Amino acid sequence: MRSIRIALALSLVAVLMPAAIVAAPAAAQEAGPPERREVDELKAEVRALRDQVSALQRQLDALMKGEAAAAPAVPPAVATTPLAAPPAAPMPAAAPTPPPATGPARAPSLMNPAISAVFQLIGNTAIGGREDADGFDLSEAEIAFESTVDPYAKMNLYLSFPADESPEIEEGYATTFALPASLQLKGGRFKSAFGKWNGLHTHAFPTIERPDALVNFFGEESLANDGLSLSWLIPNPAGVYVDSTTEVGTAREGTSFNSAARALTWTEHLAFFFNAGDNDTVEMGATAAGGQTGPTETLLADLDANGLTGTLVPDERLRSAVYGVDVTWKWKPLQQNTYRSFLWQTEALLSRRRAQTLDPALFLDETTIASAGGYSYLEGQWTRRWKLGLRYDLSGFPDSATDREWGAAYVVKFVPSEFQELRFQVKYTRFNESAAQRFGVDEDDTRLLLEWIPVIGAHGAHEY
Amino acid sequence: MRPTRGTSRIARRAPAAPAALANLVSSTAFGVVAVAAVLAAIGFLAAREARADSRVKVVATLPNLGTIATAVGVDRIDLTVIASGVQDAHFVDPKPSWIVKLRAADVLLVNGLDLEIGWVPPLAQGARNQKVLPGGRGYVDASTGVRVVEIPAVLTRAEGDVHPYGNPHYLGDPLNAEIVAGTIAEALKRADPEGADLYEQNRRAFVARLHEAVFGRDLVGLAGGSKLAREAAAGTLDEFLDGTSIGGAPLRTRLGGWLGKMAPARGRPIVTYHKDFSYFAARFGIVVVDYVEPKPGIPPSARHLDELTGRLKRGDVRVIVTRPYVEHRSTDALAEKTGVKVLTLPLEVGGDPQATDYFRLFDLATGKLAAALGAAASPQAPGAAGGAAR
Repeated sequence: MRSIRIALALSLVAVLMPAAIVAAPAAAQEAGPPERREVDELKAEVRALRDQVSALQRQLDALMKGEAAAAPAVPPAVATTPLAAPPAAPMPAAAPTPPPATGPARAPSLMNPAISAVFQLIGNTAIGGREDADGFDLSEAEIAFESTVDPYAKMNLYLSFPADESPEIEEGYATTFALPASLQLKGGRFKSAFGKWNGLHTHAFPTIERPDALVNFFGEESLANDGLSLSWLIPNPAGVYVDSTTEVGTAREGTSFNSAARALTWTEHLAFFFNAGDNDTVEMGATAAGGQTGPTETLLADLDANGLTGTLVPDERLRSAVYGVDVTWKWKPLQQNTYRSFLWQTEALLSRRRAQTLDPALFLDETTIASAGGYSYLEGQWTRRWKLGLRYDLSGFPDSATDREWGAAYVVKFVPSEFQELRFQVKYTRFNESAAQRFGVDEDDTRLLLEWIPVIGAHGAHEY
Repeated sequence: MRPTRGTSRIARRAPAAPAALANLVSSTAFGVVAVAAVLAAIGFLAAREARADSRVKVVATLPNLGTIATAVGVDRIDLTVIASGVQDAHFVDPKPSWIVKLRAADVLLVNGLDLEIGWVPPLAQGARNQKVLPGGRGYVDASTGVRVVEIPAVLTRAEGDVHPYGNPHYLGDPLNAEIVAGTIAEALKRADPEGADLYEQNRRAFVARLHEAVFGRDLVGLAGGSKLAREAAAGTLDEFLDGTSIGGAPLRTRLGGWLGKMAPARGRPIVTYHKDFSYFAARFGIVVVDYVEPKPGIPPSARHLDELTGRLKRGDVRVIVTRPYVEHRSTDALAEKTGVKVLTLPLEVGGDPQATDYFRLFDLATGKLAAALGAAASPQAPGAAGGAAR
């Protein structure tokens, strides 16, 4: 009887054991607290892994002994993962893998700045008017470097290689991250925060060339300073983006601030940015720039014609100021923003500068010249790859109260990918009589332009 | 043409600026100072007001991150999400208005893996807030700890708009949300240590709900969610479910949730518009055999669409998955020529009116796909079953 009981008990155990083992993961879950169960499982896994590691270590030792005998000078290669886990990384249940890295060889290059290169090939032919500019130009090549300096600043450097000219530093500046009170300081050489267009690099222009008003007021290049720029993101209860940028520096060339004396130029730009719903944004800005300017070309020509060069010394420190307002409206439907968009951007500029003139009695007179100019640009996009733009220009010249030009540009853009753009543009310009006479050109000029802009490398994102 | 004659003689220094200009300059200077003073006062008041709100200010770049942050932070966080669910996360516009939000942020959650390379850097660098810059204590890269796939061996844009660190659409695998929730919880604990217990509690609740949603309540009750998640992460879930029996039946018979719902669709081939379905496909056993884009970020050419039409006419692929923000002309044309079904599935929360949170996003995606693929199961067996077991 007793032996039967024992046999029964043993066979029960024999039957239940495998079932218990098979069903263990599930049954234990129901029986015990899950944490305890997980701990037990983890312990088992750790033991298994420890065994595996030991086995691998033994294999490695054996291999190293063999290798050491064959080539004792070569140390064993140990793969290091160039990664730092973030502080207090979470402990997810799933096995975490290290963040990606394509291999140790990549690690040193990770410290290099982001480098990119872009050029503009521009073809230019007159349909009516001057033909002296006909032909193709690799109008500009730009190499850009960008990287953080340390936790407190970043640096941008743009080297420009203009056609047939020496390379130059187009911009090179450091920007702080660590100033208090919503301030950001920029120092170096930079394009002035005057309106919207002036800050753009040529490859980012909405049309092939810059608006006439900017050429006339600031020269063939953007208004740029070697100096400092302090931007203040002004807090306000409405939570609206309001930025004040104050710049002081020595202006680089440029028509309005071309004093041969090393005179300081200052600029103040106020920008307001509003969202009108999800799809529309409006940005408004106002800018004032002040500095000093030298003699006008007309005065220098007059002095030369009268043999007075060197006898009458014109003033190099005449006051000059340019004021501007800008409005930009963008429509980009959230869901289709890569396929459809609309842009309207307008800037108006007013220049007031002192100027000297040579009067008929060969005396130098001084007067104030006021002139104005501006442009309005419309751009529509109706598919992923095509955009159509129209710009209207009207501009005076800061050194003349009478010269005027107006122009219209029509541009078609084809964008095969984010990294290149092809543009075709027709530009019509009409000078008034005095301007045509002064520049020795026909009053009408129509030209056809073609531009190809490819970009390679890690080019930093453009601002909105 | 010339200015009127003055009275001055020979070259001389210009006198102090004429009265009009001097007045203008001085009045401008006065105006600037006055305006600055008013703005400073406003700024001071605004800053005080902002400080009065003690919630952790969290900015998430994408809605999926936002919805997980909400689950973990609930009402201890003040959340702003930059992108909308109907937007293409690659091409969000860096509107300066987001800079204002980032200036005050304690935590910035980014998807990472360079998905937001075109728009987060200009925003974060303009925010004057060191916390939200990479390396800052509030900068949280949600891809940390995620097993990333499709890391390109060779980096070249000849392959299109490639992501150098691998495919960034990892929240297409719901189990990665567990990792992300852990990362977010740790970030919130750092930013707000007083709420640490609550964040941990919320994280656990989210993960528990996630496990039930993925595996089904029944199976989670039997095997434990963490165990199932570990098996899934190790790629051994099938073996575990088939090799473990309870009451004589393998655990697979108790599989529910999204995995259970998608089981009939396992191994079926599909075509997607962009390469953003890899994680989802891997988790649910769907096989992506081709893309409407010839290369990532490159719009389809007529030739590629012709080739794709030929591929689709073989008949094994019955579904094209596309996204709300990409053009529908190509996919509609493919559907018309081949009879294939086009499914527009949201990638992000908010990408569809029904996808109001991360759970509903997957309810919707798995529901639609299972219906389309399950119902469309062709009699001839799919070519690449990928070891699917049922």
